[in-house]
Amino acid sequence: MLGKRFALQGVLVAALGLVTGTAAADGISIPHAVHKLKNGMTVILSEDHSLPLVAVNVSYNVGSRFEAPKRTGFAHLFEHLMFMGTKRAPTGAFDQWMESTGGSNNAWTSEDRTDYFDVGPKTILPLLLWLEADRLRDLGPLMTKKKVDAQREVVRNERRQTGENTPYGKVEFRLPELLYPEGHPYHHPVIGSHEDLEAATVEDVKEFFATWYDPANASLVVAGDFGPAETLDRIKTYFESIPSRGAPKDPKSPGFPEGASSLKTVVRETLEDEVELPKVIMAWQTPKHFAPGDGELDLLGNVLAGGKASRLYKALVYEQKIAQSVEAVQQSGTLGSRFVVGVLARPGVPLERIEKAIDAELQRARTKPVSAEELTRVKNVVETDFVARLEGVQQRASILNMYQAEVGTPDYAERDLERYRKATADGIRAVAEQWLRPDARVILRVVPKGKKP
Amino acid sequence: MTFKYVKHALLLATVLAAACGGETVETKPPAVAPPKPVPAAPAAEADPLGPRPNVDPPPPFTPPAPAVFRTANGMTVWLLERHALPMVAIDVALPIGSASDPAGEGGLAWATANMLDEGAGSRGALELARAVDQLGASLSATAGTDRSGVSLFVLKRNLAPAFDLLADVVTRPRFDATEWKRVHELWTNDLKSRTRDPRAVASVVASAALHGADQPYGHPVSGTLASAAKIDLARVKRFYQANWRPDQATIVAVGDVTRAELTAALDKAFAGWKAPAAAPAAKAAPAAEPKGARSRLIVVDRADAPQSQITIVRPGPTVSEPDAVLADRANIALGGSFTSRLNLDLREEHGWTYGAGSRVSAMRQAGTIGLSSAVHTENTGDAVKAMLNDAEVYATKGLTPAEVDLTRMMARVDVVQAYEHVSSTATLLGNDAALGLPATYEAEAALRRDSATKADLDRVAQRYFHPKDAIVVIVGPQAKVLPQLAQVEGLPKPEFFDAEGNPRAAK
Repeated sequence: MLGKRFALQGVLVAALGLVTGTAAADGISIPHAVHKLKNGMTVILSEDHSLPLVAVNVSYNVGSRFEAPKRTGFAHLFEHLMFMGTKRAPTGAFDQWMESTGGSNNAWTSEDRTDYFDVGPKTILPLLLWLEADRLRDLGPLMTKKKVDAQREVVRNERRQTGENTPYGKVEFRLPELLYPEGHPYHHPVIGSHEDLEAATVEDVKEFFATWYDPANASLVVAGDFGPAETLDRIKTYFESIPSRGAPKDPKSPGFPEGASSLKTVVRETLEDEVELPKVIMAWQTPKHFAPGDGELDLLGNVLAGGKASRLYKALVYEQKIAQSVEAVQQSGTLGSRFVVGVLARPGVPLERIEKAIDAELQRARTKPVSAEELTRVKNVVETDFVARLEGVQQRASILNMYQAEVGTPDYAERDLERYRKATADGIRAVAEQWLRPDARVILRVVPKGKKP
Repeated sequence: MTFKYVKHALLLATVLAAACGGETVETKPPAVAPPKPVPAAPAAEADPLGPRPNVDPPPPFTPPAPAVFRTANGMTVWLLERHALPMVAIDVALPIGSASDPAGEGGLAWATANMLDEGAGSRGALELARAVDQLGASLSATAGTDRSGVSLFVLKRNLAPAFDLLADVVTRPRFDATEWKRVHELWTNDLKSRTRDPRAVASVVASAALHGADQPYGHPVSGTLASAAKIDLARVKRFYQANWRPDQATIVAVGDVTRAELTAALDKAFAGWKAPAAAPAAKAAPAAEPKGARSRLIVVDRADAPQSQITIVRPGPTVSEPDAVLADRANIALGGSFTSRLNLDLREEHGWTYGAGSRVSAMRQAGTIGLSSAVHTENTGDAVKAMLNDAEVYATKGLTPAEVDLTRMMARVDVVQAYEHVSSTATLLGNDAALGLPATYEAEAALRRDSATKADLDRVAQRYFHPKDAIVVIVGPQAKVLPQLAQVEGLPKPEFFDAEGNPRAAK
């Protein structure tokens, strides 16, 4: 057992000092215990008996950045295939058995990870664990072309629905290609291209499973209303005999230095889309998740576009009345993050004018520290969001696995929050100056069809 | 991030009991008295997983009823204490929404709610936003079809100052003309943008066709370009004065707050809010029969779209009809779960879509049953045919025994999950209060939903899910979908609508 157990007092211990001028806050933690199985699998148990619910989260350290050339979208396609059945639980049974006993499930794939989560009444836990163990044990070798074809079509329709037929949806396809050079693991979008999805074979699936779906590459969280001793015994029975070839090596980012942007110029492009209002998106490569500067950029995103009192809203929407809406966000990743500013123009306002107005605000952020009042405000917003995210069992399970994957321990909530508490006005300014350079960024415009200059 | 499925598009239900049997790895029974000795076969290796575990029925869960009391100025209070975490969610619920918009002024209730936090009490719009952020709180005002409201989420230690801001927003909005000009312009631009979003367009057109564009439930909550152009600040102020009044308001509080603390805060912050002498406005009633209660096919052209957005609507139960909760449960098996008939058919069996599903919207004086899916353009005709067929079979043959079990289990856990977050609980209870339902409604509904028999569910399936009088709306490339729709047996001749829900001539 590697972790430590916290006293259980409610779900988490939190007493935040969120009024200006009050003393510093007390601690915050998600009660949990960590175990390592003999095959290298990580197990994290987090009890909470306030409602008769239980959540399971299984995270595999594999995402779209691990994909082979000409196989973009494969990690996510594989995620769909994880529901396609085994001998014990044939195609369709995973969802059917779960839902018929009151459970539900979903999964997501990012550049860095694939996360499977189940939730249901407390009595369903043995079934959830049995089904997760079954597919980790047996799914790959039983893959067929029929199964791959079925989910290939579903995923291609997912691409159409969430990207091609949604206003501004194509940005998510194009932005990573502009922001990262060819060959960079983040160069292609998670969902991949139609062409590559079409090309995926059953052999690819089997090889992907054999490489990445290894117990030593997985972390299992159980959160909610359960007995830990009995649950750990069951987990050992189901998972411990699954053989491991050892944790696979993370390919990381060969040839790309950490701590520096590979962008050296301004990269511009204009997309046409079925939209009413033109939009400008600016993006930068920024420090990776939990690296120095990452937390400051979260706060800066809030300073710039978090609510009506934020700088971009105030300047562009409220005062100059040139923009319809604004957004600014640090999207954190394992190898590196991206900071994205997006502004929707009001009708008839040239995008040049929008860009100039954004640049003026960014220049201010780079040269002058945010005010004490702004700093308190955004810290309080971020801290309250932080606590609110810990309220549900499913979210807690997911967050514990996120910490496990990103920093190697689930016990990180307090240190995570500390990043925001300790941030300073000048620290935010310095990070903006270092990373949000005017001469090294992507500027992507989206304009109504037929309006491309 | 990219998901297995999108939950709201979702929609899913169940497969048959036979298929549930599943395979397990079998060991062969020992042969009886072999005629002659043979070398012992290696014992079949035991399955390390063993057989599929049985799942015990979930423990009973009765939704807790909030304590109900009144304040000195006539507000009703629903309080559900929960002290596990130091946070509080408040929902101020008013029983007037877009269904009460005057004819031709769709969006009035919505615009009124949106103006509340654009300056209130001693603060302008930006000062108010800053003050809310300073507390780490979130505060928003909005309207739905049958309700308006303001919601607040805050850590307990900041409850008192947050209450003052909430009271300003609810009782002392400024309705400043400069702010109105900006809000109206943003509103109009958003309505223009809506015409480019296929899902939003499908919803606008389906409601107009089903209820009648001039009826209470026939226009979108946020109105249309035509109606927004007619609404001015004077109308907004009058709507506020007539409808935002303490004798109509319910304050729902969920979380780490006691009755004594809450009462003290309410008496201090809301003391000055008095009901006008005039009686509150009557809640609008729709025409007796939804105008669209006959089979129609409506096409909205979206040239070059790679998918068609299909929406099929028909009348459903009102929220106060006992059938509403039964329809809600029956819906799980048709299109309200991943393993629902619609999702398994359109997505898992055919791969025509990323998801297909259905839902029941029970409103105060009307109800809607809606089926929807976004499908690859070339599968539009096939998908419409399959959706109509799935609904018809469901309505005429009823639920399988496995579906009866599935819907009971899923409905049970849905209730527990609805109470997992203080904010979602406050919203749920606020909706009930605004709809005029009792504080005990969720407990009673859970019991009725849980105890419904196959006969009950078959009856509501037959009554509400048969598509014979349904309206089929397609938002997609007209030139490509019309020939496909012509091949679907039983569909009426297409009518053509614009993205704002108005009939137009064919292109």
